[in-house]
Amino acid sequence: MTFRPPDAPDPRAREEFLSEAQEILETVSKDLLLLDQSLKRSEPDLDLLNDVFRGVHTLKGLAAMFGFQQVGRLAHDVENLLDDLRLGRTPLTLEVLDLCFEAVDLLSRILAPERLDEITSGDVEAFHERLAERARPERLDASELEMVELDPSVLAVLTEFEEKRVRSAISRGSDLAWLKTRMDLGSIDGSLEDLKRRTRGIAEILTYLPAAGATDPNAIELEILLATRLTREQLRGSLDVEDADLTLVARRPTLRPGATARPASPATSAASPLTQPPPAVVPPAPRTPAPIATPPPGGPAHVAPPETPSLTQHVQLREPVAPIHADALPELDMARRAAPELPPPRSGAQTVRVDIRKLDDLMNVVAELAVVRSDLRRLGESLAATGNTRQTATEIARLARAFERRLLALQSGILEVRMVPLRQVFDKLARVVRQIARDHGKEVRLVMTGAETEVDKLIIEELTDPLLHIVRNAIDHGVESPEARRAAGKPLAATIALNAFQKGRHVIVEVDDDGAGMDPEALARAAIDRGFIDASEGDALTTRDALQLIFMPGFTTRTSVGVLSGRGVGLDVVKTNLGRVGGLVDVHSELGVGSRFSLTLPVTLAIVPSLNVSVAGRPFVIPLSVVHEAFALEASAIRVVDGREVVSLRDATLPILSLERHFGLARLPDARSPAPARRYVLVASLGAQRLGLVVDQLHGQQDVIVRPLGPSLRGVRGFAGATDLGEQRVGLVLDVGVLLDEHFSSSAVRDRPGALDVARDRQSGEPSRERTGGAVS
Amino acid sequence: MSDSVQPALVSTGPRQETLTFELAGDVYGVPLRRVREILRPPPVTEVPRSPPGIVGVVSVRGRITTVVDPRRKLGLITGGATPRSRILLVEGHGEIVGLWVDAVLKVHRLAEREIELASVLGGAVAEHIRGIGRPARERNEAPQVIILLDLDALLPR
Repeated sequence: MTFRPPDAPDPRAREEFLSEAQEILETVSKDLLLLDQSLKRSEPDLDLLNDVFRGVHTLKGLAAMFGFQQVGRLAHDVENLLDDLRLGRTPLTLEVLDLCFEAVDLLSRILAPERLDEITSGDVEAFHERLAERARPERLDASELEMVELDPSVLAVLTEFEEKRVRSAISRGSDLAWLKTRMDLGSIDGSLEDLKRRTRGIAEILTYLPAAGATDPNAIELEILLATRLTREQLRGSLDVEDADLTLVARRPTLRPGATARPASPATSAASPLTQPPPAVVPPAPRTPAPIATPPPGGPAHVAPPETPSLTQHVQLREPVAPIHADALPELDMARRAAPELPPPRSGAQTVRVDIRKLDDLMNVVAELAVVRSDLRRLGESLAATGNTRQTATEIARLARAFERRLLALQSGILEVRMVPLRQVFDKLARVVRQIARDHGKEVRLVMTGAETEVDKLIIEELTDPLLHIVRNAIDHGVESPEARRAAGKPLAATIALNAFQKGRHVIVEVDDDGAGMDPEALARAAIDRGFIDASEGDALTTRDALQLIFMPGFTTRTSVGVLSGRGVGLDVVKTNLGRVGGLVDVHSELGVGSRFSLTLPVTLAIVPSLNVSVAGRPFVIPLSVVHEAFALEASAIRVVDGREVVSLRDATLPILSLERHFGLARLPDARSPAPARRYVLVASLGAQRLGLVVDQLHGQQDVIVRPLGPSLRGVRGFAGATDLGEQRVGLVLDVGVLLDEHFSSSAVRDRPGALDVARDRQSGEPSRERTGGAVS
Repeated sequence: MSDSVQPALVSTGPRQETLTFELAGDVYGVPLRRVREILRPPPVTEVPRSPPGIVGVVSVRGRITTVVDPRRKLGLITGGATPRSRILLVEGHGEIVGLWVDAVLKVHRLAEREIELASVLGGAVAEHIRGIGRPARERNEAPQVIILLDLDALLPR
């Protein structure tokens, strides 16, 4: 391991550190959540605690290595806390767990790439103090160990942590059993994982010990100490093991002092002085903020030295028994460390973790492209030599096809690399839900489905904040107080459901709550009070329009009865963020029953199958994902209802929007754009809304790479970007979400400056509906 | 004035390389170092709802680039494209922007004393005019006036 001076961190190493640290924190916070749940069921899963401990320990090591002293110190103190929890010196309570969550939050904040240099030392100091204030460790007495017939030699090799787990299993009334098993050294990782999975919910694995006198050099025999509530027969059946391999550890009939081999705790400490430092070694907190300069993996600047890295312990306990297998030990430790699934790629940064196989596939395509290139070169040479044009033409056509196939493969390969599961956002939400629910004294159950749904990395980034907003809003204002829920005959624990699924080229994310729902009338009143709309407009609002009010900048119902109240950040952020990636948010709510926010997002922004159209001689591009059909429009079919044009489509009313008029496009003087005799309607829909877009001509389909408009056009609404259509022509990509929005927001809201266009005006400093004259070209 | 012909080579001191171009018949100049590239105009796609002064967007090797027409900002007569029309890619507020010009002329190396401040025009001068360039004449050349533009003031923010 090399050490870099803390003052000159290599930026790449630093980037790697950040990436890895984020990943660790995400795993840790997931484990903490599970731990929290298990604690609430009064069956704390100590494996998880151990995983958390290891995560923090690793983080501490990394931080020290890369010179992130603040992180190192914080991790160090948290590690101590976790260690005390593991060893039972500090009882595991929800309050202590809160401290852990807080620590994770704090660490995430320090490690957020954009904040790296800004030191939040005040927060950190405050946290260190709070850590120091927590109850000091207490020691358990060892009487439980006297209740079972465990061989003293076994007790002597148990680590403090393992011993504690044995004790607590006994005190919970579980039985102990030995399971003898043989594992192939080559596949020991998998076998251990498999065993862990099989025992889950049935028995708790307390420790693994290698059996003495192994004969096969390629296999290892393990004796595994289990705690279970099942009978021996049930356990044997559930684990599907040989009768002879399972031995129950007898309980002693009564508690007797002395006489028999009674190793208990004094014996343990005597037998392994190294593994169990006397409590006096633990220095009183708060500790001096000594920078952690040494990396922990070997000899840490760690208060209770070597009891924690379980690796060391295994080595110690093994050597006298079966030294041949010493090389299997790191794997054994790794197997316990490995999370059951791959950690999700980290979020909040501009990097994506990529499965190496995906890169290999891409590399293969590149290699094939190289072949095409050399074919092309060869062809050029032979053309120069022979001048046989017909043969050359055939060859060029062949190469063009080969090239196109590879290009497509390359495109889709790169797209795939950009895809990440929604799980990483969902996991973050789970933490927030827990925190907010606790802050508000509400009980909330979070149910997630579809977390494996994959979305472009870029979209994930834009999705996190909106979802946080919605979820926070749901708990804050949607979920009623426990009293109100009881009165309403609802289950005390509210349910918030996150559902994600793919629908065509979109991903839908829904956030459901079974809270109080929103009252359209109260919303309208609030909008009137705030001057967003006047009273007559308020009366005319449909339920749908009223619900849409919550997305207006600055909207809050703080002054009216608590339906929704602002904490300064409004749901308009949700709309803005989603709009940036071509997404849409919709809300449904039923008073007394709950609310549902549906977020519709494109799966990717990178390459979009699109339809090329023209309006008034200008090319436009519309993503196929939002176009459901197209039909020819007869002028006579248009009806006007309440000032809006509609047509009938299969016995249903379809509102239509002329893009020419909507964008104020002047007909060009030249022959390119005579007013067409016949126009077309593209039926576009996003979320629940359907709108017919009137265009002049359809030019067919094309996969386009959508590029953003430059900063000078940032304020222009209605376009998701532009694309090079080939031959230097540029087509504007329509932002159907905005078009739907502009058309469907009730005219009262739409025409008022400061309502929907506020965000745009703020950015551009230009009047909302500026138009430019004819094109130069 | 006609007698004070200054041989160009005599001037010393720092010089500003200025690219001159034509807008509605007048000669304008911008610092050469701000010009990245000169393009024959590809078809410009108009962007509805864009701020005045922005003509539209073009694709420069796939990158979508905003094109502004300085004639609009300068209150000049605007005309269509001619064979001499060009787009200068210039660096504006953190963005490469296309500047539509009627024709590109040449690069002048202007000495300090060949530049007059905008204040010589008297009164309130438009913020996007930085000064007047009067390059030393070669023999038989007509005196030339270059309106030096302040790109930062001219380009959209």
